Amino acid sequence: MKPIESTDAAEAANDREAATVAVELEDVTFTYHGAEQPALIGARLRQARGEMIGIMGASGAGKSTLAKCLNRIIPGFEDGDFHGVVRIGGRSLDGARVSDVAPMVGMVFQDFEAQLFSTNVEHEVAFAMEQVGMPRAEMVGRIADALAAVGLKGFERRDPTSLSGGEKQRLAIASVMALRPSVIVLDEPTTDLDPEGTAEVFALIRRLREQGLSLVVIEHEAEELRGCDRLLLIREGRVIADDPPEHLMTRLDLLEECGVHPPDLNHVAARLGLRAHLGTVAEAEALVRKHFPKLADIHVDSAGETIKTPDPEPAAAGQGAPLVEIRDLSFSYPAGALVLDKIGLTIASGEFIAIIGQNGSGKTTLAKHIVRLLRCEPGKILLSGRDRAAMRPAETAQEAGYVFQNPDHQIFAATVEDEVAFGPRNFGLDADEIERRCAEVLQAVGLETARRSDPFLLGKGERQRLAVASVLALKPRLLILDEPTTGLDYREQRRMMSLIADLNRAGIAIVMITHTPWLVAEYARRVVLMRRGRKLFDGPVREFFAQEEMLLSASFRPPEVAALGRRFGASTLSVDEFVNWVQRHA
Amino acid sequence: MPIYRYIDRASFVHRLHPTVKVLALFIVFWSVYWVDRPVAFLPLGVILLTLALLTGSGPNFYSLRWLFIIIVTSTTISWMLVFGHRGAWVTHTSVMFGLGRGLKLAELLAASVLFLSTTKVEEFMVGLARLGVPYRARFAITLSFRLAPLFIDSYLTVIDAESLRGLDFSEGRIIERMRRYVPVVIPVFMGALRKANNMAMALEARGFGANSRPTSFIEYPVRPRDIATFVFLIGLGAGYFAMYVTGFGLIPQ
Repeated sequence: MKPIESTDAAEAANDREAATVAVELEDVTFTYHGAEQPALIGARLRQARGEMIGIMGASGAGKSTLAKCLNRIIPGFEDGDFHGVVRIGGRSLDGARVSDVAPMVGMVFQDFEAQLFSTNVEHEVAFAMEQVGMPRAEMVGRIADALAAVGLKGFERRDPTSLSGGEKQRLAIASVMALRPSVIVLDEPTTDLDPEGTAEVFALIRRLREQGLSLVVIEHEAEELRGCDRLLLIREGRVIADDPPEHLMTRLDLLEECGVHPPDLNHVAARLGLRAHLGTVAEAEALVRKHFPKLADIHVDSAGETIKTPDPEPAAAGQGAPLVEIRDLSFSYPAGALVLDKIGLTIASGEFIAIIGQNGSGKTTLAKHIVRLLRCEPGKILLSGRDRAAMRPAETAQEAGYVFQNPDHQIFAATVEDEVAFGPRNFGLDADEIERRCAEVLQAVGLETARRSDPFLLGKGERQRLAVASVLALKPRLLILDEPTTGLDYREQRRMMSLIADLNRAGIAIVMITHTPWLVAEYARRVVLMRRGRKLFDGPVREFFAQEEMLLSASFRPPEVAALGRRFGASTLSVDEFVNWVQRHA
Repeated sequence: MPIYRYIDRASFVHRLHPTVKVLALFIVFWSVYWVDRPVAFLPLGVILLTLALLTGSGPNFYSLRWLFIIIVTSTTISWMLVFGHRGAWVTHTSVMFGLGRGLKLAELLAASVLFLSTTKVEEFMVGLARLGVPYRARFAITLSFRLAPLFIDSYLTVIDAESLRGLDFSEGRIIERMRRYVPVVIPVFMGALRKANNMAMALEARGFGANSRPTSFIEYPVRPRDIATFVFLIGLGAGYFAMYVTGFGLIPQ
């Protein structure tokens, strides 16, 4: 009888555990097949039911590896050496197949294109339920519930490919929710989304949290994870911190060291000697007014001062000779709606322009016209005063270069040097000149020591810089970069932007297509906002961020530090600027 | 660039049972196999044209109009040359034979376009299931329809990226031109591998393979119109076989 009693006791203990603990990891270590070092080392985690945990860290730190352990993709799908125990709801996953875990742990990936398989929304949500053999009658109710939960009710018959990025990602979440898992893991779900899509997804995450789901969210931007119960910080495969946001988000140096963008408001507080965790702009405003009495009475109406930047802004347009002149450009794809509608734009030499707008607003189409990837009819484009249509490809390449969003769309050579030399060789430059240019641009992008390396073995940030180098080797006077920081962690983003700023200082005009507000605020000097093929705004960056209503209508959330400055009537665009402003006025 | 060209309508053909649609496609292939004489393609041609109009598939046919023209013209001419002999390339027989081959391919293409215009991927899967194709195999077939446009997009982007770096695909002899595609093939291939891996991972995470007999959200009861169409299709197939047996569908030598 005794063993039975002890079994009952153990079962009761397991039941209690299952009732309170959603996820448990014990000393989980994983080394990918062929890798020398483990990607995850001795990870421990205990997540209570209903808890939301954020995971932060640099690219390659081990965040996704940890996430994949939760639904058995590691070691079930990825080859490698796995040690440790993973339990979901008290049940060990040892020996389980990935598909067996799907009803317990739902996983949403960064690449939303790769996780939609069906021809309409309803079928997409039904997919996972079909796989586990659920009767149709049960599916009907669950589909309705899941679509209502993610705000896609009424989209049942829509083709998933016709949805916006944010809608696709919400559909992916609905698809995993339909199985009613107790845990949902979201691996950088907003990386490829525009600001509107990002806002949609984070609003949904907040709603899921309110419903009591256990959530694990991986994200580079710490600001987005303020609502978590706990944050894990991972560095080189090890969990080096596991704290509530109010503790971890004030350790700014540690966050930056780990490739995480620390919240601007906490940064402001620290720079002003007020170590604090600030959850909202209103909290930051109250703190500043409290500690700097002279600022207590400054309001938007009474201040109205525009601060002077350390590096005064040049005029918005026409500062130098016109490099690009676009006149009355309209364009539509075959059998499609108008993508560009009578656009006029002048880009002067040495400018730094950010083109922003929702997906489908015409940003990339406009940029592709400049480099002659699309014909302009009707309309006209002049490059340095010459009709672009009459120029040879080599001439166009010397005027304007284009770096695609994904560096892997152009990398093919066996060595970094060959990759850079590809363009100059095609345009018939002699060997000495090619050699000279390779050395010059590889030094400029910080890859001079990787000349003989295989490009496919470089990290994402390095591949992105290689893509820039291979375009720079053609010596263009204008460099167009399509979302140059997508998929990079904060450290890599800073490095990439510092490279772009250096190129701009060296005289190359920059046109950067981006969705990231702080990049626009800190680096661009002129903003072009596109919507439905038209220019909604074209002017200096400070003027842009001062127009609250327009930002709102464009779903473009300004950096929090810019919003904070506006509350004091100051058009500050970065932490440095706001801190300087406070110090001068306090 | 969508490869799967489903047009959401509620026509008679759209509402047919998927197995009947797959059978219809098979019957068209069967029918054109047995005949060569241009006039023999007329009944099937009229049926396909009428259905194209009734199902609202016109836009798909229109977008492929040049493909139809090229197929009919080039096939007709090349088969005329093959069929002709002793210096007399353009004879009544060779023209008839060439034209017959051109119409045969055009009708095969037309039936495929009509099928894709009126059948969802999921219906295609159900149709294949009824024909006994294993689940994983039919899922792979339908997934290829989903992947193809992604790969085509990726291919076009790579072409753009490399042409901006001076890669010219129009110069040189054929071997030289093929070599120029290396900088395109490698990034597309690497991207395809990554995408396929991501997709496989997402599939597993959504429970793919959890149950050896997955259920289906889509239910297709067999209705009288399905039975009537089935009978008609069998009759059509038999009629074309009869054209072969009687010699009516063949070109007199």
